[in-house]
Amino acid sequence: MTAQSQPMPDSALIAKMITGDESALATLYDRYSPMLFGMLMRVLNDRQAAEEVLQDLFLQLWRNAGQFDASRGSLPAWLMVIGRNRAISRLRGRRDREVMEEEEGDFAATFASPQNIEDEAARNQLARTVSAAMQQLPAEQRQAVELAYFEGMTQSEIANKTGIPLGTVKTRVRTAMQTLRQILGSTLGSVLG
Amino acid sequence: MTGPHPNPEDLDLCALGALDGEEKQTLEAHLRDCPACRQQLAAARQRTALIGLSAPAAAPRPQVKSALMDKVRAEKHPVSQSSPSKSGKSWGLRFSLGFALATAVLAFATYELARQDLDRGRQLKQLQAQLSQNEAALQAMGQVTGAPDSAQITLLQQPGGPPGQAHVTYNARMGLGVYSGQIAPAPAGKSYQLWLVPASGSPVNAGLVEANQENGAVVVRLTPGLAAKAFAVTLEPQGGVPQPTGPKVLVGAAG
Repeated sequence: MTAQSQPMPDSALIAKMITGDESALATLYDRYSPMLFGMLMRVLNDRQAAEEVLQDLFLQLWRNAGQFDASRGSLPAWLMVIGRNRAISRLRGRRDREVMEEEEGDFAATFASPQNIEDEAARNQLARTVSAAMQQLPAEQRQAVELAYFEGMTQSEIANKTGIPLGTVKTRVRTAMQTLRQILGSTLGSVLG
Repeated sequence: MTGPHPNPEDLDLCALGALDGEEKQTLEAHLRDCPACRQQLAAARQRTALIGLSAPAAAPRPQVKSALMDKVRAEKHPVSQSSPSKSGKSWGLRFSLGFALATAVLAFATYELARQDLDRGRQLKQLQAQLSQNEAALQAMGQVTGAPDSAQITLLQQPGGPPGQAHVTYNARMGLGVYSGQIAPAPAGKSYQLWLVPASGSPVNAGLVEANQENGAVVVRLTPGLAAKAFAVTLEPQGGVPQPTGPKVLVGAAG
């Protein structure tokens, strides 16, 4: 691969945004909107609502570009966390996640790795890895994690919805997260930190 | 420190949002006093966030991007208005009328340039862009000032701080506000930053404001449904910060 074919790093695009360069935002939008929109659609199951959240998310990125230290944080992870919080808040009419987001507005800066998934092939590879890891979970564990992640349910809410005892739900979610951490740990360590 | 350090699964569950009840309270109490665990929670959030990648990627409609870029262009520079009125009209109405007048003037100037067919294509484009910004701001302003559930908040200078005053008309339902005001110029390397202070939780960034925003209001877009206890302007490092660190310059309670 030649140097010219390398995508511009997120950090450079953020620096350009700070100077008012709209094209940098457009590039980041093109880079990350498909993965974000896929997640938002899964949460909201409503194209218009998902598009509104997506647009607001990138508008926030534009407004607050100066506050994001890309050399210390992962932009796609930040976008995924904030996007999911907003989508679930919208889905469930809860404000608590957004309050949390504001209270911990500097959390992105605590991410240890400067590495990002700026290359499309790397993004696709990571998505395949995560999907494969999820498929490796037993169906009941995967269901519990998906209810928590995509529907924003707590363990108690999952127990109520599924009719499964709370203790069983807790065990399933904990075991699933432990497994995911083990499966994804090395991959994410090299890709996102 | 409150209690023992949580195990990694607890932090994963917290990041996932699955904890509730006593488990959640216990962990949150610990996190308040433990920076190391907060950092681990940040890492857990990053890890957990990637579960979203198991959803197949999808393409939003092209108009989402074009609407985003339109908004960005509209926000790029605070819109200007004509000279401030000294009448007794509400300041919200003054700004609405001001924007309407500015829009009309710009529209006329645009027409004149086009009619004369001068070699001023660049100027014409600039005027059209500004006209577009003003129309967008006027529309937002009309929404806020015309809504019966909008609140008008006056922000007053603080003891020992620079002289100034500002106004915010805010509609929590829309998540839309209009700021105008005037403060003594910020020192070199510093910016004024506007914050919405909610009833609970940390202040919410409402963006940077100019020292002299008296002749040009700024439309502030926040998350719809976010109720305000107060608005405040602080003096911050140039470019702004995620959470307020500098002194409060102007403060106004809502309601």
